[in-house]
Amino acid sequence: MIKRSLLVFISLFYLIASFGQNGTVSGTLSDSLGEKIIGAAVVVKGTNMGSISDENGFYKIANIDLSNAILVTSYSGYKTKQIKVNGRSTVNIILSEISNNLNQVMVVGYGTSTKKEFTGANANLIGEELQKLNIPRIDQALQGQISGVNISTNSGSPGGSSSIRIRGLSTFGDNDPLILVDGVVYDSEGLNALNPNDIESINVLKDATAGIYGVRAANGVILIETKKGRRNVKPRIELSAYTGMQQATKKLDLLNAREYAVLKNEMHANGGLDVPFQNTNLGTGTDWQDAIFQNAIVQNYNITVSGGTEKTTYSVGGSYYSQDGIVGLDKSNFTRFNARVNLNTEMSQRMRLSSVFLYTNEERNALPENGIGSVLYNTINAFPTEPIRDENNNFSYLEEVSDIINPVAQMQNTYNTAWVDKFVGKEEIAFDITKNLTFTNRFNYNYALVDNKVFSPLTWYGPGKSQNTALNEQLDPTQVEIAPGILIDRGASVYEGRSTYSDINFESFINHSFQFKKIHTIKTTAGVSIFSRNGKGLGGTAYNIPNNSIDYADISANLAEGGFLNNTNSFQFQERLVSGFLRAQYSMGSKYNGSLIVRRDGSSKFGPNNRFGIFPTLSGSWLLSEEDFYDIDRIKFLKLRLSYGISGNDQIPNFAYRGLLNGEGVYVFNDIITQGVAIGRAGNPDLKWETTRQFNVGADMKIFHSFDLTLNYFIKNTKDLLFQPDVSGVLGTAGAGSYPPIINAGDVSNKGVEIELMYSTKIRKKINISTGINGTWIKNEVVKIPEGIEFIPGAAFGIGGGVATRFEKGFPIGYFIGYQTDGIFQSQEEIDNSPVKQDGAVPGDLRFIDQNGDGIISFNDNSDKTMLGTPIPKVTLGYNINISYEGFDFSANLFAALGQDIIRNYERQQPYANQLAYNIDRWTGTNSTNINPRITTGANKNTIFSDFYVEDGSFLRLKNIQLGYTLNPKITQHVSISSARIYIAANNLLTLTKYQGFDPDIGSVGGALASGIDYGFYPQARTIMAGISLKF
Amino acid sequence: MTKKITSLFILIFIFPSIFSCKKFLDIDPLYTQDAENYFLTPLDYDRALTGAYDLLQSSFMTVWVGEIASDNSIAGGESVNDTEGLHEIDNMNHDAVNNELRSIFRWNYSGITRANYLLEFKDNIDFEGKDKIIAQARFLRAYYYFELVKYFGDVPLVIDKRIGADEVTKIDRTPKSEVYAQIEKDLIYAASILDWKNPTKGRITKGACLALLGKAYLYQNKFDAAAMTFDQIIDQNEYMLIDKYTDLFTVANEGHTETVFDIQYTGAEGGGYDCLICLEGNAAPGFQGIRQFEGPTYGDGNSYNLPTQNLYDAFNPSDLRRDASILDIEAFKNANPSVKYAEGGGGHTGYYNNKYIKKKAEIGLPDNDLTSPVNYHVIRYADVLLMAAEAHNRATSPDDAKATNYLNQVRKRAKMSEINASGNQLTEAIWAERRLELSGEGHRFFDLVRTGKAAQSIDGFVTGKHELFPIPQVEIDLAGGNWNQNKNY
Repeated sequence: MIKRSLLVFISLFYLIASFGQNGTVSGTLSDSLGEKIIGAAVVVKGTNMGSISDENGFYKIANIDLSNAILVTSYSGYKTKQIKVNGRSTVNIILSEISNNLNQVMVVGYGTSTKKEFTGANANLIGEELQKLNIPRIDQALQGQISGVNISTNSGSPGGSSSIRIRGLSTFGDNDPLILVDGVVYDSEGLNALNPNDIESINVLKDATAGIYGVRAANGVILIETKKGRRNVKPRIELSAYTGMQQATKKLDLLNAREYAVLKNEMHANGGLDVPFQNTNLGTGTDWQDAIFQNAIVQNYNITVSGGTEKTTYSVGGSYYSQDGIVGLDKSNFTRFNARVNLNTEMSQRMRLSSVFLYTNEERNALPENGIGSVLYNTINAFPTEPIRDENNNFSYLEEVSDIINPVAQMQNTYNTAWVDKFVGKEEIAFDITKNLTFTNRFNYNYALVDNKVFSPLTWYGPGKSQNTALNEQLDPTQVEIAPGILIDRGASVYEGRSTYSDINFESFINHSFQFKKIHTIKTTAGVSIFSRNGKGLGGTAYNIPNNSIDYADISANLAEGGFLNNTNSFQFQERLVSGFLRAQYSMGSKYNGSLIVRRDGSSKFGPNNRFGIFPTLSGSWLLSEEDFYDIDRIKFLKLRLSYGISGNDQIPNFAYRGLLNGEGVYVFNDIITQGVAIGRAGNPDLKWETTRQFNVGADMKIFHSFDLTLNYFIKNTKDLLFQPDVSGVLGTAGAGSYPPIINAGDVSNKGVEIELMYSTKIRKKINISTGINGTWIKNEVVKIPEGIEFIPGAAFGIGGGVATRFEKGFPIGYFIGYQTDGIFQSQEEIDNSPVKQDGAVPGDLRFIDQNGDGIISFNDNSDKTMLGTPIPKVTLGYNINISYEGFDFSANLFAALGQDIIRNYERQQPYANQLAYNIDRWTGTNSTNINPRITTGANKNTIFSDFYVEDGSFLRLKNIQLGYTLNPKITQHVSISSARIYIAANNLLTLTKYQGFDPDIGSVGGALASGIDYGFYPQARTIMAGISLKF
Repeated sequence: MTKKITSLFILIFIFPSIFSCKKFLDIDPLYTQDAENYFLTPLDYDRALTGAYDLLQSSFMTVWVGEIASDNSIAGGESVNDTEGLHEIDNMNHDAVNNELRSIFRWNYSGITRANYLLEFKDNIDFEGKDKIIAQARFLRAYYYFELVKYFGDVPLVIDKRIGADEVTKIDRTPKSEVYAQIEKDLIYAASILDWKNPTKGRITKGACLALLGKAYLYQNKFDAAAMTFDQIIDQNEYMLIDKYTDLFTVANEGHTETVFDIQYTGAEGGGYDCLICLEGNAAPGFQGIRQFEGPTYGDGNSYNLPTQNLYDAFNPSDLRRDASILDIEAFKNANPSVKYAEGGGGHTGYYNNKYIKKKAEIGLPDNDLTSPVNYHVIRYADVLLMAAEAHNRATSPDDAKATNYLNQVRKRAKMSEINASGNQLTEAIWAERRLELSGEGHRFFDLVRTGKAAQSIDGFVTGKHELFPIPQVEIDLAGGNWNQNKNY
C-alpha cells in the first residue's frame, strides 16, 4: 500500500500575504484519549486555506500569517475548536467529543434533525455497534439494542427471519415496520439481503413522528443509512473477516431405548393392548438428536474502501457470508455476496448527486421446519429402539408411526434451494435554489429475482409413509393417469419457480429553512412521492428426472411423456401509492421546538370508497435545561417531548376490496380436470387502512456527566383492524381457494414505558467503560372485536386439536386459552367424591378446573376454558457493556424477555412416538405424582389443550460476548496498517430459561395469533468465533 | 444555465401534481375476473357451475361419518387422537367441538354459496341452454342442503344470494321442513329441465334429480310421493343393475348402467393433508387403506373406517356381497403369504372397507393416500330399487308386490334367494337388505336414524339427542351466538 503519508488536501486558493509574519504551522490532532484523529479539517479562519489530518493525525498549512491566524477545526462528532496560532509553528490540537451526541445529525425522513431538536421518540444506533455482534441479519442484531423494539426469531436456521415489533403488537395482520434503506423501501422479509457491514446508522422512529410516512407508518419506521465516504480523505481500506463454529445450544431430554420400551409397554397395557416389547433391556438405543445436530461453520469477509476528493465522496463495499446449518449443514445453509457503491458528488456549486447501489446474491437451502413433517419434529418423535440404519445399511423405517420418518434419510433426500438476486438503489439530485431552499428529486428502485428449485427424488421411507414418492422399496415410480388411458411414470420430480418483484419510487421534495429575529427558525419540507410495485412469477413441476439425481434436476431434463408438466402456475400483481407530505418545524432558540406533519396517501389497495387518507401529527419539545430559571445542577440536560398523531397500516392483500374470481372451482368431467371459477376472497368495497393514534410523552436527560437517560410513555391505539376473521360457514368461504372477506373491525391498545440508561466513564484515564441498559414494559389488550363475534380463533393445538389461541376483547392478542388443571386424580374414590363431574376421568388423569362452577367439566363448549398464558413478554430488557483498556477491549450484550409463555406443541401423541423424559415421572398409582398424567393408548382427555402444555418462556440470553486486542499502531504502521484488531467472540453462549424446548426465543410463523407456539422450532446456534479487522 | 436547471426542476416537480392521482391508483387486477362483473357469456355461467360442482368432492366425509357413527364400522386410524372427531362420533360422545362436523357444515355451505352466486345472476343474459345450467345449479344446492339437513336438522336457508358477515348474525336456523320444501322445489325444477342422458360423464341427469328427490321424500316419510318419484326412474328403464357386484366400485367400470349419481374424482392432481378440500381425488380410499400394507392388489393407507364384526356377521356366508364389501385382511394374508400390514392404534377389527380402498391399479399423484380416482357412488340404481321398495311398502296404500319385486331384483343380483313377505316383515327385510347392499357407502347411520332403529343398533346412542349432530359451537359463535344448539348437546 501507500507507504508514506502525504498531505491529502492542498488548498485551492492561496494568497501571498503582503504583510505580517508568514510561515507554516503544523501539528497533530488527537482526541481526549490521545488517539490520533484522521480526516479532520483544519482551516484558517476567514480564508480557504486548510488541511486535512492524515493517518497520523498530522496536518500542515503553509504560507499563513502566523501571528494573527486562527485555526478552526471541524470533525463530525467532535466540538468545533478555534485556536490562535500566536506565532507558533507547532500547534497540537486536542478535540473533545460532543457530549451526548446531541448535535449529531440523524435522518428523520425527507430531512435531517439532531437529537437536541428532534421532537419525536426515536432511537439512533451506530452501524459499528451492530456489526461488532457478527450477526448476519440486521433485525436479529437489533434484538435488545433499543427499548420499545422487540425482536423474536421465527427460525434459527441460516437465513431464517425474525419478527420486528415496534411498540407491541397492534394488529394480528402485518405488524412489520416500514424499513427504508437510504430512503428505498426494503421489506423486512428481504432483510437477508442486507449486509450489516454496509450500515452506517439506524434510526428507529417509534412514535407518531413516523407519520411522515403516512399510511405505512403505523408499525413504526426503521431508517437505515449505508456507509458514505468523507471529503478530502485518501482512500481508506478496511478489511474484516471472522470465522466460527456453531453448535446446538441444547438437546431435549428424551426417553432412551430402555425407558421408551418400559413406558410404551405400560402405555399399551393401560390401553388394553398387547405390550410391544417383551424385552425392555434395550440400553440407550439411538440418540436421534446426536444424529441430527452437527457442528457447522460460519464465515464472513468484508472489504470497504472509502474516501473522498474535494467534491466527491465514495464508499465501496463487498462481502461474502456463508453459514451452514447445525441441522443439515449444507442442506440448510445460507450464502450471501454483497456489493455496494455509495457515491456523492457536487455536480456544480448548487447541485449534488447522491447515488447508492446495493447488489446482493444469496442462496439458501432449507429443510422442512416447524411442525409435523419437519426434520426436528421427526427427530423428537423417532423411537430410540430403531437404529438409524439397518443391518443392510439402509435407513430404518420407523414403521409403527405413519407420519414420522427417519430424519437422517429425510435430510439426505431434501433438496430445496432458493436464490435471490437483488438490486437496490437510489439516484438523488439535490439543488440549492437559494441558500435556504433545497429542491431534491430522487428515483429509488428495488428489484429482486427469486428462484426456487425443489428436487424430489424417488424415495421410500417405509410402508405407509405419506412422504414416499416411490411405489416401493425398489424405488419404482408410481404411475399416473394424466388423461383417460394415458398413463405416465411419475419418477423423480423437480419443481422450479421464478418470481420477480420490482419497486419503482419517484420522490420530489423541497426543504426550506427560514430564520427571523435570530431566534425563530422555521424549517419546512414539502413533497410528493409516487410508488409502484409489480410482481410476477411462474412455476411448474417436471417428472422423470434422469437417474433419480439432483445433477439433472431441471425442467429441461423432463423425460415425462409429452413433456407433461404438473402444478404449473403463474401469478402477477401490482400496487401503487401516491402521496403528498408536509412538515413544518418551528424552533425558538433551541428551547422550544414544534413540528406539524401532514401526509396524504392514496393507495390502490383500497376501493374507491376509501382510497385516500390524511395522516396528521403534532409534536413538540421543550429544552428545560436552557431556561434561565433552570437550576438543577445534577441534571445537565433536560428535554421534554410530547407527540400525538395518526398513521396507517395498509398491509393487506391487493384488491381485497373486491371479490375476485380467483378461487378454485375445479371438477372432473369426462375424467378430465375441468377448470371453472369460484369467488376467491369475498369482497368488501368499504375496506380501509388500519388507523393508529399514538400519544407519546418523554424526556431526555443527562445526569451528572456520565449518565444519559431517556424515558418514554406511550399509548398506541389501533382502530379498524384489517383482518380476515374466521367467518360463519354460512358465508360459504370454505371452498378451495376461497377466503373470508377482509374487514375493518376491532381495536387494539398498547400502552408502555420505555427506559434507556447509558453510562460512560473513564477510570484512571486508561480504562473506558460504557454501558447501557434498556427496558420496555408493554401492556397489550384487545379493546374491541367485531359485532356479533365473541372472539376470533387462532392457532390449533396438536393434530386436529382444538383452538389454543384467540383474539378476544379484554385479553392480549393471541393469548392462550384452554383448560386449567389442578393436579391428577389419584383414585377412583377421588373421582367419585369430586364435586365436579369430569366425563371419562379415571385415576391418573388430569383434573380440570370447573371455571363456570356448574359442577361439570364441559368438553363440549368453551365454558370451562380460561386464559393459560400469553406469548407477549411483559418486559424486555437489553444490556450491553464495553470496556477498553489500552489495546484490549471487551464487550457483552444481553437480552432478556420475561413473562411470556410458550405452548409445547411438538409432542406427537402417538402410541409409538418417542416422548420427553418428564414422562418417566408419570402417574403410576395413587400418590405417585400430582404433575404428569398416566400414559395410555386408550381414549383420554389428557391430550386436549390445558396448562399442562404451557410453559414459562422467560429467558435471559448472553447474545454476544467478545474480547479484542488492537495491536499497537506504532508497530502496525510499519506495514501501512493504521489499525489492526483481533478478537474472539461467542454468540448465544448462555441462555437461562426454564423452558424445556430447544430455544425460548420463538417468534411466529403463522401470524400474530400463532406466536409462542413451538412446533419443533429450528433453534439458534451457539457460535464461537475468531476475527480480525484491519484498516489501511 | 441555472435558470434552465431551475425550470427543469420545477417541471419535474409539477409533473406529479398534474399527473392524475386517481387514474394512477385505479388499477385492475391482472388476468382475473371480478365477481360483480361476471356472467357476460354462456361460458361464464358454465364455469361458475363447475365451481359449484367442486364441493361435491367433499362428500368423502359422508362415507366416513355415515359408517363410523353406525354399527357398520369403527373410526380406526393411527391412534385415538388421529382425527379425534371421528373417534368421538364412533363412541357417540361427540360434542359441539368437532373438526369433522365443522368441515361438513362449512363445505356444504360453500357449495350452496357457489350455486347461489350463479343463481343470483341467473337473469344477466339469455342464451340457449341456460335453463340446463340453472337446473344443475339448483340440483347442487338441493344436494348440499340435503346433506346439511341430514346431519344438523334445522339450518339457515339462504337462496339465490350471497350474504355478508353482518347479515349472518341476523338470520336464524330455518325449520327443517322449510329447507326440505326448498330442496323439493329445486329438484322438481331440475328434473323437469334435465335429460335422462348426458354425454358428459359426471353431469347431473334427470335420473339423479328424481332419485335425490325421492330420497328427500323418504327422509320425510312422504312415502306416496317417494314411490311415485322412484317409479318414474324405474319405469324409464334407463338404469339396470350390473351383473357382477364386485365390478361396481372399480375405476374401470365407472359410468356403468347402475350409476344414477356419482361424484367424480381423478388421480391426475396431487394433494396434501393441509387442504383436503383442494383435492381432486377421493380421500376416502387412501384413508381407508390397509395400514403399512405390502403385498399384491392393495396399496397402503391409514386404516380408517374399519368394518365391524357385527357387519361381517350380518351377511349370509354365501352372500357374495360380503367379501366384495369387506376385506378380511387375515384371510387375505393367508392366501398371499407375502402380505405385511400393521394394526393401527386407533383400533383394529381385522376388516377393511373393500369398496373404497386404495388399490395398486387405482393410484393417484402424491400424496396418493388422498388422490384416489375412484368415484363416490352417491346413489346407485340398487339404492333406488330399495328406496322404491320401502316407499311402496310404507305408502298410504301399500303395494307390497311391487316392493317385493324391487327387493328381489337386488337380491337376485347378489345370488340370494327371493324373499316373499309383506307388511312390517317386508319393511324389516328391506331395511336389512339396505345394510347388506349398501354397507360401506355412507348410508347406514342415516338409515338407522330415519327408521328409528339407531338406539337399538348403536352403542351409546341416546334417543332424542343423537338423531342429529350438534351444530359446531364455533359456527354458533361466528353467527352471533343466537342459534339454539340441537337438543341435549
